[in-house]
Amino acid sequence: MQIFPPNQGNNARGYQTLETPIEGPEQQPPNNWKGFFNVYSYTQYFDVDTDVVLNRLMSSLYPTSGDFFNKIDANPDLYGLVWICTTLVFVFASLGNCATYLVKKRTDSNARWDFDVNYINLAASIIYGYAIIVPLAFYFSLRYMGSKADLLRFWCLWGYSLFIFVPASLPLLIPVEFLRWVIILLAGSASSCFVALNLRSYLETNNDLTVVMAAAFGLQMILSIFIKVWFFP
Amino acid sequence: MSHNDTTPLYQSSQSDIDEIENMMNDGFQSGPGTVLPARPPSPIRPSIPVSSSPFVQSNLPPLPPSSSSSSSAQKVTPVPVPPSLPPAGNFGSSEGPKTIGGSGFGSPPNTLTEPVWDTVKRDLSRIVSNLKLVVFPNPYREDPGKALRDWDLWGPFFFIVFLGLTLSWSASVKKSEVFAVAFALLAAGAVILTLNVLLLGGHIIFFQSLSLLGYCLFPLDVGAVICMLKDNVILKMIVVCVTLAWSSWAAYPFMSAAVNPRRKALALYPVFLMYVSVGFLIIAID
Repeated sequence: MQIFPPNQGNNARGYQTLETPIEGPEQQPPNNWKGFFNVYSYTQYFDVDTDVVLNRLMSSLYPTSGDFFNKIDANPDLYGLVWICTTLVFVFASLGNCATYLVKKRTDSNARWDFDVNYINLAASIIYGYAIIVPLAFYFSLRYMGSKADLLRFWCLWGYSLFIFVPASLPLLIPVEFLRWVIILLAGSASSCFVALNLRSYLETNNDLTVVMAAAFGLQMILSIFIKVWFFP
Repeated sequence: MSHNDTTPLYQSSQSDIDEIENMMNDGFQSGPGTVLPARPPSPIRPSIPVSSSPFVQSNLPPLPPSSSSSSSAQKVTPVPVPPSLPPAGNFGSSEGPKTIGGSGFGSPPNTLTEPVWDTVKRDLSRIVSNLKLVVFPNPYREDPGKALRDWDLWGPFFFIVFLGLTLSWSASVKKSEVFAVAFALLAAGAVILTLNVLLLGGHIIFFQSLSLLGYCLFPLDVGAVICMLKDNVILKMIVVCVTLAWSSWAAYPFMSAAVNPRRKALALYPVFLMYVSVGFLIIAID
């Protein structure tokens, strides 16, 4: 099982053996934070090939299959999280500006339109904040409730769940209000179902945890509505 | 120290290894008793502009006179320009990232007392030669992994600041924010792209890659200037597309050579993303 924080290259392919090198019963366990500032101790989280990443992206578009955790079990990666979020920041900043441009030109063709650079700041804060903090919150609350949780796999799941917003942003340019709402609700519900169903299959039937599932679903829907309201008004 | 060593050389460049090899081959007059100083590259290395004042005077004279035969292992007496030394002069200079210009160890120029115009001219010529190597079409280009040995960070710095200034100039509102966004995007983007390659298990030298990504911005600089002068949207789109393709084409061989071929697309996509976002900034700012 991959661990976080990373150990300094001790893991072959990310697996930590259970026997830590114990020199004597009074020995402290090895310091897990030694490799924190070394780039090479993080390569275990990026150990994926192009076809693996494409496979995971495609499977994120099918919300009902529910087997995402099986897919990533041996090798969860953070590449998807980082670059999907970055792509989303760019897509929202640029297409959001385009969308306001189109709306303005449609209503009043002489209106002055200016590129709003703050969209980039806003998009970055929202997307990165959501993608990092929400899995962290779920991890801690699930651990508190005593069920199993793995931070790395949660980050991987939420990262890939945001992928569907990238292709959905293109039709959002159409300056018809009703159509925009339909599109964002569809995309948002697909993404939320993806997260919720995969969480359920990971947590393996425990009735208390439907609250957790509902919370995941709700948060993702709130994110998608927020996107619509802020970037494509 | 072979040229075929594929271990990544951190904080160093191949030209330093060449110089050290030349030095070793030239031989020391005092024979086998001379020991290489513990940190030979320190005064010569152009990479980080560390103020190396305590070591400036302590360079390795290539032909140490018999009088100071053992001094190559320690600091020489801190006389600014010791007249007793042979005309070896000073190699290290505390003026920042200047190098010797690859002139070897015969009779090296005194970079501390040369005219400023010489220094500037040397740096400019290096920027131009690096630019030609990276950006312009060259069917006889040698192995891209060895290219840009004489990397430097002045060129990328100029290009990034110039692009920020051009974008800021052509923006009509929020000029300072546009500059800030452009500069941060490019600088942080170059660092993140290099980290991405390293995390994917690729072999790349950190500063060499920063230098490379900076030089590949040159076509976008040209595009930004054209877009600033002519305000037609269609023309802007065409110009930006062409320069974007040119930049990506320039960056492609270096990035793809650095990683495992199965992960090439993973390493190249972020580069493409960064250049597309800069291109979009160029089009959208009017």
